[in-house]
Amino acid sequence: MTKKLKFLVGESLKRKIKTKWFVAANILILIVILCLFNIDGIIKFFGGDFNDNQIIYVNDKSNMTYETLKLQNKNYTKLLDDDEEVFELKKTDKSSEEIFKDEDNKDAWYLTINSDENNTINAELISDGYINSYDFAQISGIINSAKQSVALSLSDVDPVELAKISESVDIERVILDENKKGEEEGTQMIMSTVFPFVILPFFILSLFLVQMVGAEVNDEKTTRGMEIIISSVSPKVHFFSKVIASNLFVLIQGALLVAFVVLGLVSRMLLGGTSITDIPASAGVDISGMVNSILSSDVINELVYIIPLVIILMLVTFLAYSLLAGVLASMTTNIEDFQQLQTPIMIISLIGYYLAIMAGVFEGSLFIKILAFFPFISAILAPSLLVLGQIGVFEFIVAILIMVIVVFLLIKYGLKIYKVGILNYSSKNLWKKMFKALRG
Amino acid sequence: MLKVDNITKYYDNFLAVDNLSFKVSPGEIFGLLGVNGAGKTTTFRMIIGLLEPTSGTVTLNGKKIDYSVTDNIGFLTEERSLLTKFTVKEQAIYYGTLKGMNKEDILKRLDELLEKFGITEYKDKKIKELSKGNQQKIQFIVSILNKPKLLILDEPFSGLDPFNVELFKKQITQMAEEGSMIIFSSHRMEHVELFCKKLLILKNGKDVLSGNLADIKEEYRKKNIMIKGDIDIEKIKKIPGVINVESKGLEYEVKIDNMDIAKDVFKVVSKCANITKFSVEEPSLNEIFIAKVGETYD
Repeated sequence: MTKKLKFLVGESLKRKIKTKWFVAANILILIVILCLFNIDGIIKFFGGDFNDNQIIYVNDKSNMTYETLKLQNKNYTKLLDDDEEVFELKKTDKSSEEIFKDEDNKDAWYLTINSDENNTINAELISDGYINSYDFAQISGIINSAKQSVALSLSDVDPVELAKISESVDIERVILDENKKGEEEGTQMIMSTVFPFVILPFFILSLFLVQMVGAEVNDEKTTRGMEIIISSVSPKVHFFSKVIASNLFVLIQGALLVAFVVLGLVSRMLLGGTSITDIPASAGVDISGMVNSILSSDVINELVYIIPLVIILMLVTFLAYSLLAGVLASMTTNIEDFQQLQTPIMIISLIGYYLAIMAGVFEGSLFIKILAFFPFISAILAPSLLVLGQIGVFEFIVAILIMVIVVFLLIKYGLKIYKVGILNYSSKNLWKKMFKALRG
Repeated sequence: MLKVDNITKYYDNFLAVDNLSFKVSPGEIFGLLGVNGAGKTTTFRMIIGLLEPTSGTVTLNGKKIDYSVTDNIGFLTEERSLLTKFTVKEQAIYYGTLKGMNKEDILKRLDELLEKFGITEYKDKKIKELSKGNQQKIQFIVSILNKPKLLILDEPFSGLDPFNVELFKKQITQMAEEGSMIIFSSHRMEHVELFCKKLLILKNGKDVLSGNLADIKEEYRKKNIMIKGDIDIEKIKKIPGVINVESKGLEYEVKIDNMDIAKDVFKVVSKCANITKFSVEEPSLNEIFIAKVGETYD
């Protein structure tokens, strides 16, 4: 029987992996990951308006603001290039009509700065088109900062004093409770590490897992091939073959995802010539932020046991998902019915996903903490709370144990349903049959 | 020997099979007949171990049927039980391995059977690309890959043309001659009559008629007389014991209540002109089935 189990596992895995769709899907995933890691380079390669600085013609009628304005402008740099300023300032005495007459200045802005008795200076910003709120906030910031500097210099403040006033305050952060410090940094870490590198792949893989088991069981059931299979191997062997194969598939797919990420990082080094941690947050993967937040928090010392614990919880949850999917698939008579049953399972995971996001906002929420022990939700929520420091290792182990109990119950009772379900081709009195199977 | 001993199967309060018993010896082809819902599928499932009888036992060569003996059983389901995404070769390897065979033996046997059924070119084709008839051939082939000691054939001729029916018959007969026990179910009574020496008719899960086909026909009192010539139908109909007179092409079929009536019919017919045929024949299995079950098989 072990030989047959091995054969069924191998066949099941082969049916999933030795397909052109598996290869195609993974090539696509690899391309997406490579693109994500090099997104800034790709955007720059294709070029566009973002490459051109926004030209602002400045008519400084106050005769004292332009230089200060230029100095302040240096503080505002581009998202994709820290060395380049967002705005290019050009001093002019021409009127706005004269400037905009020139077709080349169609996209330029025209800034007039006047002296103002009450408010030191006032400004008028003219543009042909709409200025988006982000750009407007930046230019407003530059003008306001310039105004403060001008006002201080007009107050006959000693230049040394003026420099001191203008300099930003050096604030030393001292957090008495070291755990609190970890929590604060952890919120950032959750957003930058746990989501893209743990929760999202887990969610995708669990979706693959559930669909794989469901599709295979339904395929064998609807073609009545199940009767031939079950007349040769026991439902138990068949059930476990699906569970083992699907979990192996998820591990292989997970390993491939990790390999793709590594390839993404290497490609960034080779193609972009920049550090692997120098990936902009706008690309959705803020590696430098992630590394910094990990290094600056106490979590680095705890990762030694956090990572194995998270992996254990996720593996146990994968196992539970595959068992549940197998049981549900056996009850249904076609793939459409299974897809309907599968929806609530995935919604449970989504709840965990959103609760994990909210955990950083509703710090210390008892409700969220309790749900971190809830089967299936725990795989997403508990790692987030552990990293945030809202639950400890003991609580995390309890969440794992609860999941192990769920796996045990799914094997014990799920197998009874599976035995009856796989040979049931009618949805009539379905629940009655299943409850009877549970009792039997 | 397959021994089905007083098996009963309840689904909740519904009695699907009621105290059924029969034996199939090596080399025997046994017919299991019944209308849809009579309990045939449930019986087959209990025989191959898919269902546990509520009471009674099923044994193969004295051993209870479990997964230690199922490698010696072949099963052809009424519905298609092929995994349509597979090629013929993959399908054979899949089911063959589950029957405990190794890949080498499976491929050797597959080549042999594909050759026999004249479909060697389909070996690497996907099942879903094949016609209904060819799918049925593949289904039959994979069910006999393991040279089963017990072969259950549920409607094996479904979707087959007469030429392929002959090929199947030849193979089934050969397997019986080689010592396989074969349980056979078909809607085509002429096939059952041709193959099975022993049969059992199920009605609502109960055995309403069973035994040797020859004995059943012998015991069945009603006979048919086939007559060719110019007969006086009304005169024959008036003979006590004559059930019906029906025109069948150039002949007349006279149904009589028992063998003794044949003499009275002969007396009347002998006075008629141009009589070229007067033959007392056994009733067809279909007639017996209708009489016992109260409805036609299909």
